[in-house]
Amino acid sequence: MVTLQKQLSVDYTKCTGCRLCELACSAKHEGVFQPSLARLRIVKYDDLGLDVPNVCGPCEEAPCVEVCPVYAMRRDPVTKMVYIDHDKCILCKSCIGVCVHGVIRLDTVAMRIIKCDHCGGDPECVKICPTGAITYGTPAQTAVVERHGKLKAYVAEIKRTAKAK
Amino acid sequence: MSIGGYTGKILRVNLSQDTVRVDKIPQDWIRQFIGGDGFAARILYEEVPSGTNPLSPANKLIFATGPITGTLWPMSGRSVFVAKGAQTGIWAESHVGGFIGPELKYAGYDLLVVEGRSERPVYILVEDDYVELVDASKLWGLSTSEATVKIQEQQRDPDVQVAAVGPAGERLVKFASLIVNHARAAGRTGMGAILGSKNVKAIAIRGHGGVRVANHEEFVALAKRAQERVRVNPQAKEMGQWGTWILTAVKQEIGELPTYNHRTGVFPGWEQLSGDYIRPRYTISDRACFGCSLACKKVNYIPDGPFAGTLEEGPEYEGLMAFGSTLGIADYPTTLRANQICNKYGMDVISAGTTIGFAIEAFEQGIITEADTGGLKLQWNDSALVIQLLEMIGKREGFGDLLAEGSREAARRIGKGAEKYAMHVKGLEISGQDGRTHRSIGLSHATGARGADHLRSLVTVDQLGYEEVAAKRWGRDKLPEIINPYTEKYKATAVVETENTYCIRDTLIVCWYSVSWPPIFWMDDFAEMLPLATGIAEFGSTERLTEIAERQVTLKRLFNAREGITRKDDQLPERFLKDPMPEGPGKGQVVHLDPMLDDYYRLRGWDLETGLPTDDTIRRLSLQWAT
Ligand code: SF4
Ligand code: SF4
Ligand code: SF4
Repeated sequence: MVTLQKQLSVDYTKCTGCRLCELACSAKHEGVFQPSLARLRIVKYDDLGLDVPNVCGPCEEAPCVEVCPVYAMRRDPVTKMVYIDHDKCILCKSCIGVCVHGVIRLDTVAMRIIKCDHCGGDPECVKICPTGAITYGTPAQTAVVERHGKLKAYVAEIKRTAKAK
Repeated sequence: MSIGGYTGKILRVNLSQDTVRVDKIPQDWIRQFIGGDGFAARILYEEVPSGTNPLSPANKLIFATGPITGTLWPMSGRSVFVAKGAQTGIWAESHVGGFIGPELKYAGYDLLVVEGRSERPVYILVEDDYVELVDASKLWGLSTSEATVKIQEQQRDPDVQVAAVGPAGERLVKFASLIVNHARAAGRTGMGAILGSKNVKAIAIRGHGGVRVANHEEFVALAKRAQERVRVNPQAKEMGQWGTWILTAVKQEIGELPTYNHRTGVFPGWEQLSGDYIRPRYTISDRACFGCSLACKKVNYIPDGPFAGTLEEGPEYEGLMAFGSTLGIADYPTTLRANQICNKYGMDVISAGTTIGFAIEAFEQGIITEADTGGLKLQWNDSALVIQLLEMIGKREGFGDLLAEGSREAARRIGKGAEKYAMHVKGLEISGQDGRTHRSIGLSHATGARGADHLRSLVTVDQLGYEEVAAKRWGRDKLPEIINPYTEKYKATAVVETENTYCIRDTLIVCWYSVSWPPIFWMDDFAEMLPLATGIAEFGSTERLTEIAERQVTLKRLFNAREGITRKDDQLPERFLKDPMPEGPGKGQVVHLDPMLDDYYRLRGWDLETGLPTDDTIRRLSLQWAT
């Protein structure tokens, strides 16, 4: 049987850039409000009015796993989540540079690599996000939910525009 | 420091001496003032003596945060700039959203104090422990937005948070603002002129640390519930969708939409300045400040017409009022373009629009003529004129040089009775409310420490007729008068209680929209949260918080008293006191200020004759050191 792994998906059009997700993530994993230690990142384009959430995965071929010289970065065979084995990590930091989403961070105080683990299947960022810009589910599920949401928003927009005119 | 929330450090940058110092925050300050506005008031009172010229090196710019800045508490990303006011010469403060406050905390400081004056143009760079005055001669003359991008490029870090001065601040336009994140403004009271006078183009901050609270688990749980309250609140949802534009319709309905320089309160073209009209046509995205579930910020784009291609966040309701109804303009694109010019030059929207409104009315009355304006014919409903005047003010060109002084000073220089049309209190232009149709705001405007202020004590409960809320807060016995917008009775009670709560809000510092429009949180919510954040049990008592608030309001009053402010300055423009509202639901109404002032001083423990805090009050609030 094939089980589709759950993934974090983002819809940047919904993101308001509030960075609550960064706060909730660091609060949960580090016991402190410190966005620099969050496992995800909101990239903000204030001049364009855009905010783009960057989260871990889904990566078909995870470059962080490929690049790791000592096989410290591995993939869980069941959940397909990439995780780091801190005992093996030699802090070469290659994974940071190679991550396609720029979400592997270096904690420069404790000198360790930090990386999203989907909160063991119940991600904090998803729960706190006020707009639903980050969702968690199998890619198929999220796609359907997303399309449904878009359609509803689209119809509402048409109605409202018609009314305003 | 063992107390949660604070970093416990004040960063002092002295531009004259090129030195940097880090001070500890005394523990008794925390217990007496909490943070934000309170710390700033303490520092300003002690360190900027009376009579100081606001634009001299002796003035200080204080940038302050509160104990929960940068945490998960809703809308905790705000921060405040405080100085002696450029335009008013009295207590001045300007709060701003965006992301720069939390960044200062992450860099390891609760406050940043900018002192002295630099000989050459610089920007102040703070990156954790590293502080540098970076040469800014190449940035001088750039817009706030360009300067922000340039600094982020120079530092090779898009996450550097920048508070920038634009050309208006460099030229000491008296109502110049500071702009963060391209469009969020520390707008009022001329903070841009203060920084400009110090030869500082910007403050740039990057922090990699964090904020620790006293009881992490419980604080997080409470903050999450609080975020949920914001999300489900019906008015908050509306605000999230329509932003503050929602107010245009409300104001029109109650006859309080400032029109033609506050001559009247109804505007026939209001619909084109309302959310229903704007959103479907122009809005392209919703955005939020740090930690906010509400997201009242709107990015808008003008696809066609004379302002085609304009892309900018805003304007808020106040911008719609200042460049729309106040000037008789029923055209949203004009307000967006005007707002954009204000953001790029770094100018306060309310003061700019109202000062232009003053000039138009003075022209109409024949007090100024084309000889004064350099050939410009000033008239209502003239988009092109407004855009032209704004650019002239930002550059201090021709007639714009006079308007750059603000309406009070411009009127003084013009003379010939022009003062009658300058809509200001203590030099600060009146915001988008009208005391005639909403009596409590009349009192707020008159007593505000920084001048005509709608943010320190605006009561919305009476304006919107929330009977139950009013009964709960002030007692059923004060109904219905307390929520009748057309009586003076009990209004001081509502204003004082609201001012106290907002005062705590401003020491924390959280957004206005979390306590007022809509009123989601109040004093007891802060009392529940603060002990978890700080570990200080006494902050759990609303009586204690009220006392702290009273201390701060009184300290700001003492600061102003040193500059000669007394009861005679707690005034409103003649128009609000003598010219009855000419039309609309509030037709015939005027403000009777004196009875409300008496009540207000009595409740504050200030002398009825002079409006100054009595010795008893000063002692009760442990403010003897400030006399
Ligand atoms: S850490 Fe980066 S490269 Fe690795 S799986 Fe996640 S997103 Fe892909
Ligand atoms: S919590 Fe949601 S809306 Fe806020 S920044 Fe994160 S992804 Fe965007
Ligand atoms: S309500 Fe608006 S101004 Fe207040 S914090 Fe949220 S986005 Fe910023």
